[in-house]
Amino acid sequence: MTNSLLFGIATFVYFFAMVLYVSYLAFRSEMLGKVASLSMLGGVVVETAAIGMRWYESYQMGIGRAPLTNLYESLAFFAWTFAVIYLVLERKFKIRTVGAFVAPFPFLIMAYAALNPNDIQPLVPALKSNWLISHVVTCFVGYAAFAVSFGVSFLYLFKAGSEKRSPKSAGSFWDFLPSSAALDEIGYKTIAIGFPLLTIGIVTGAFWANVAWGTYWSWDPKETWSLIVWLIYAAYLHARITRGWRGKRAAILSIVGFAATIFCYLGVNLILSGLHSYGGAS
Amino acid sequence: MSADEPVKTAKTDGPDWIAKIWDFLTSLKLVVILLLILSALSIVGTIIEQNKPLQEYYRFYQPGTVALFSKLGLFDMYHSWWFVACLSLLALNITACTMDRYRGIMAGMRKRNLILDEKLSKSLQNLTTIRYALPLDTVAKKVVELAGKGFSGKHVVTTAEDGGSHYFFEKGKYSRLAFFMTHLSILIIFLGAMIGSFFGYKAYVNIFEGETVSQVETRAGKIQNLNFQVKCNTFHAEFYSSGAPMDYRSDLSILQNGKEVIRKTIRVNDPLTFEGVTFYQSSYGGQPDQVAIEVVNRDGSVKGSVTAPFGRTVEIPGVADKVEAADYQEHFHLPDGSEGGRAIGVNVYPAKGGQPAGLWLLVNDPEYDKQRGGDTYFRVKDLKLKKYTGLQVNRDPGEILVWLGSILLIAGIMIAFFMSHKKLWISLRTDNKGRSELTIGGTANKNRDAFAREMEQMIQSLKEVS
Repeated sequence: MTNSLLFGIATFVYFFAMVLYVSYLAFRSEMLGKVASLSMLGGVVVETAAIGMRWYESYQMGIGRAPLTNLYESLAFFAWTFAVIYLVLERKFKIRTVGAFVAPFPFLIMAYAALNPNDIQPLVPALKSNWLISHVVTCFVGYAAFAVSFGVSFLYLFKAGSEKRSPKSAGSFWDFLPSSAALDEIGYKTIAIGFPLLTIGIVTGAFWANVAWGTYWSWDPKETWSLIVWLIYAAYLHARITRGWRGKRAAILSIVGFAATIFCYLGVNLILSGLHSYGGAS
Repeated sequence: MSADEPVKTAKTDGPDWIAKIWDFLTSLKLVVILLLILSALSIVGTIIEQNKPLQEYYRFYQPGTVALFSKLGLFDMYHSWWFVACLSLLALNITACTMDRYRGIMAGMRKRNLILDEKLSKSLQNLTTIRYALPLDTVAKKVVELAGKGFSGKHVVTTAEDGGSHYFFEKGKYSRLAFFMTHLSILIIFLGAMIGSFFGYKAYVNIFEGETVSQVETRAGKIQNLNFQVKCNTFHAEFYSSGAPMDYRSDLSILQNGKEVIRKTIRVNDPLTFEGVTFYQSSYGGQPDQVAIEVVNRDGSVKGSVTAPFGRTVEIPGVADKVEAADYQEHFHLPDGSEGGRAIGVNVYPAKGGQPAGLWLLVNDPEYDKQRGGDTYFRVKDLKLKKYTGLQVNRDPGEILVWLGSILLIAGIMIAFFMSHKKLWISLRTDNKGRSELTIGGTANKNRDAFAREMEQMIQSLKEVS
């Protein structure tokens, strides 16, 4: 099928982008950086076509549904959101150097997706809902913002360490990166973007659950983990806003938050059981 | 939500220990620790599966461990006293913080320093002075026009003692209320959940096609009467060719005093609500209505046949024995362990009296009973199943509060992150050389970088006034 071929090409382009971002950081050439961003954009374009094609093909098969409902589609869409949000934030905050830490994700996610069955199956009754798209999109955009915050926070820890060791080292590798203060600020701002989206994702999920199953909250593992992620970032925001938690402590909390996010997205499906059956052994 | 707001405003009068408790309840430490404890506890709840029958736990844990976990409430931990206590403490903490911040936030909203005096000037980082060769009132007109673009509200003009004038602009004053929106919304959601669990119920009911019910059984095992009747007209289950389910739907009618008030086909994502009670498509099943049974001779000729209503003992014309279709299985297990499909459990009462014989007849394998031996055997000629729809029935008077709280929470977070209370001061006077002198400065309680850029632009365009 055409969509599989396009997804394959997108995976390859993401790989190329990842290599370029890492080389950009290694060789510090602006030209390389521009090409890296462009190839990431190229990956997004190809994958957009792939998703559109898969959607179209599902109609041709007489199934006709958004490609967001099994582990393969979910991962592919996650990689897409990830790349898009990263590119937007890269432009907004001028953080191309962070790319080396964030750009591997779309490739790795697509590579992992490729290990899963990718046939287009029709929807079971519970997933036939208009809430599907708004729920999935808000959650994923939120996750992607958290991922960028994770990359920035990770970089912060390196950069802050180097600034401490040698405060003035003009022209060095570390000097090439944004200042630790800027990284700290971006780490916060990306969470400030992700948090409202995660909140909307949880609320739309609760509303949908109530329409489908008659309970807006049933402490199912997915729900509970999304709440855990929400609580961690809420703790981060409270500590930062009212007590000015910055720097290392904030960066570590952001990294912990993203680890919980990844577990919420994948770990719950692969390890625990529950209502979100797009993954897992079954 | 920012550093320039006083974090603590309420003075606590009274004994020292009250002040200490108040400090504890409003401390950041308590919030952060509570949030992290709640996360940690929730993790436990996802590792130990919740609300399973007790037997299942014995498969995973030692009997001693099961007893201990059960006593600690770990198998239903989200409803255990200690988890609820943590949530209550969080609610108390939110309430205390809201009270604590109330005066500070209201003061921050009302505080309007209308004059750009020396003290205020010193506190502003972006204070800029521009001098013009234009007359004062021309500059004033331009200033109001330019500043009004970013600050659309009505500005306040004050005449200064030296004949100059002060302009005060502000925007987004009410964004300071976002604090109340985000925090009270959590309390509203809690309240909604509590109302739901105290005054609502979750119940379950099976309704056969064509039948009507007026009561349902709650999860707690209580019978709940409805003020109306629910009738299931039909139920349909459709499947894809792969066998995966495609659609479950029940055509329901609500009856009051014997008259149909509403009729609706419900599906999995499309429930029916009437008088605060909602019916969700949840499961389905079937039970035999009538079974046509034949008694067959060895040579294959039919000795007699009867259509037996399920559960009733009937005579078979031409045969002395009586028969009763007494049991039904959707997936019958054959003695060799394989699946036999639908099967009817039949009791045969011999004409001469004595013990009835029990035997299973397979719907899909009519000759199955032949293996029993004897002169005659039984077979199912036709099976009429009565389908039923399984409905989840909810009444939740607190639900509306949960959604209200959710919307308030989202709106509050958006405002808190993306809007700020901005203030702008401009003073105009004639300096000692006769030029028009403009001094401008501003503050914002959040997003100061963005505000600084906004100010830069405004100052630039003010400089270009000619």
